[in-house]
Amino acid sequence: MAAKTPKRYPETKVLSRNFDVDKAWTFDVARQRGAYRSLEKALGSMTPDQVIDEVKTSRLRGRGGAGFPTGVKWSFVPKQTDKTKYICLNADESEPGTFKDRYLMELDPHLVIEGCLITAYAVGASMVYIYVRGEYPLSIERLWGAIEEARKEGFVGKKIAGRDFHCDVVVHSGAGAYICGEETALLESLEGKRGHPRIKPPFPAVEGAFASPTVINNVETLAHVPWIIENGGAAFAKQGIPPDPADPRSVGSSGTKLMGVSGDVQKPGVWEFEFGITLRQMIEDYAGGALEGRTIKAVIPGGLSMPVLTGDELDVKMGFDDLKAAGSGLGTACAIVMDDTCDMVQACENIAHFFADESCGQCTPCREGCHWMEKIFHRFDAGQGTRSDLDLLENLFRQIEGRTICALADAAVWPLRSIVRKFRHEFVAKMSPDEQRAEAEARSARQPAGVK
Amino acid sequence: MNPRAPAAEPKDVAPRAPAVVPASFPPAELKATCEKILARYPTKMAALLPILHEAQAFGGGWVSPELEAGVAAYLDLSPAHVHGVLTFYSMYNTKPAGRHELWVCRTLSCWRRGAPELRAKALDKAGCTRTGEVGEDGRFLVKDMECLGLCEQAPAIWLDGVAHANVTPEGLEQLMDGCE
Ligand SMILES: Cc1cc2nc3c(=O)[nH]c(=O)nc-3n(C[C@H](O)[C@H](O)[C@H](O)COP(=O)(O)O)c2cc1C
Ligand code: SF4
Ligand code: FES
Repeated sequence: MAAKTPKRYPETKVLSRNFDVDKAWTFDVARQRGAYRSLEKALGSMTPDQVIDEVKTSRLRGRGGAGFPTGVKWSFVPKQTDKTKYICLNADESEPGTFKDRYLMELDPHLVIEGCLITAYAVGASMVYIYVRGEYPLSIERLWGAIEEARKEGFVGKKIAGRDFHCDVVVHSGAGAYICGEETALLESLEGKRGHPRIKPPFPAVEGAFASPTVINNVETLAHVPWIIENGGAAFAKQGIPPDPADPRSVGSSGTKLMGVSGDVQKPGVWEFEFGITLRQMIEDYAGGALEGRTIKAVIPGGLSMPVLTGDELDVKMGFDDLKAAGSGLGTACAIVMDDTCDMVQACENIAHFFADESCGQCTPCREGCHWMEKIFHRFDAGQGTRSDLDLLENLFRQIEGRTICALADAAVWPLRSIVRKFRHEFVAKMSPDEQRAEAEARSARQPAGVK
Repeated sequence: MNPRAPAAEPKDVAPRAPAVVPASFPPAELKATCEKILARYPTKMAALLPILHEAQAFGGGWVSPELEAGVAAYLDLSPAHVHGVLTFYSMYNTKPAGRHELWVCRTLSCWRRGAPELRAKALDKAGCTRTGEVGEDGRFLVKDMECLGLCEQAPAIWLDGVAHANVTPEGLEQLMDGCE
């Protein structure tokens, strides 16, 4: 492996430039390191439309999982309206295996706030709600601390930076529900209701929080904005993976990304890279590779909600289109690694339990299907699975995917289906001897004669 | 190499105050906080989650039916709405929650790094047969939680609102022994 990658793929510290600076979460240190300079620049020398154009030029794509172009999203917000417009920062980060936004909020909250304020200026919003999962008390504390400091220094509230721009920032704490990371469930939760995703349209840009135009972005997405304003969208677009010239619809994966690794590796952690590092480089060169004496069996490249790649499929670039082409997805770019000691049937049971637990219950395929899948995996683990159970699972995957209000149900199907297909032999190994014999016969019937 | 973001800043862990039933909501101690929260939103309903957090802390770690009714009346919401919200989110408790609350993450990364052993140890030390219950001595409520966002420091637990990372069964035993 060392021969294939002679040089270590470098880290590029843009978002993480203050992570190892002592007390960078305090105003004085952050300001000395350049905090709120981009906000001053935008307010002082750019129109809101110029800000949006700069972000469009950067080809910045959402870092919350779906990868929607951020500048395009902002331009959907109506310009003429009497309603108060809102920014909702999605800091719910409840995707398993994902911890990148926590680093930004705990170590550089002023960067996060500055990103929100520039966004607010660009779309004409006067209120920012930062929806942080309740399980991040330190993030909540640091954000509130930073807001109050920034208010004192004239960067939050009325007449920001002495200009005619007014915007308040409030932290709203969730209370433990994965689904509240889904943007419309987040809005419901913010409004004081259960986190039940809404049917779209209307999209939040037109009718979001409190029935008003709302921009919802991930923490990391908006944390990129100050750098883009400071250095220009074109400089941002130069980093990472350019669009595919053969595909006119491709936007590529521009800029840097916080990426993480957890699970069965030597040194789990989070790093910032330009898009383009391979999954293998990240796991081997940065996360220290597999644990002593073990080999990597499967990896979910971003969170829990994407299809798995096997240990042989890791030479794929971390990028939106590359991972999609490899049959998986970038997701949150925080990979979960499973090694050869991992029982994939039990892994499925663990994953299915998560989604069954977190389904909001509005759609039957999701509410019933996730529990059903969990039960089937449990049956396999108890040695009672059959070949027809595998067919039943395939049937369930088909009946669930694409038939629900939100993408949670799809997010359950993707990792599970890929494991069932790629590790079918592990399911078979847990069947009764009769079932195993039938499977072997069916296999050899499918193989042309003479082929082993 | 980046420094690891801390799991949490160290804090003293005090046992919970015994449950108090206020005569009306908000009790005097929470009045200013509740008003500050209400001022942040264009609707009263939007204050529900933050106010339930306050009510739960005030009530000794759970929201009693009295507190629930008080919050509903205070925010002009139907009791059904408040109950629906209260039972939707995993951080709220609707039953007495013991003197200490222990969460054990069960999701994939922690599961791979030793969460099942922690769970077994927690249940054993708490004297519970299953999660979601308070042991007979009233000391611990043990809850299964989904990913706590500390996966790079797995396995992770929470004890009384404070996160602990890279926890071993022995470490957990010590933490629990330190709780009255
Ligand atoms: C079930 C589910 C959970 C989600 N959880 C999160 C989350 O925790 N954080 C996040 O930023 N986006 C999450 N998303 C994606 C959001 O719905 C939304 O696409 C995102 O916040 C948009 O911001 P971005 O364009 O900046 O990525 C989730 C989506 C689904 C379907
Ligand atoms: S797919 Fe699942 S989580 Fe999403 S709205 Fe339907 S029931 Fe709720
Ligand atoms: S899986 Fe346990 S903290 Fe993320």
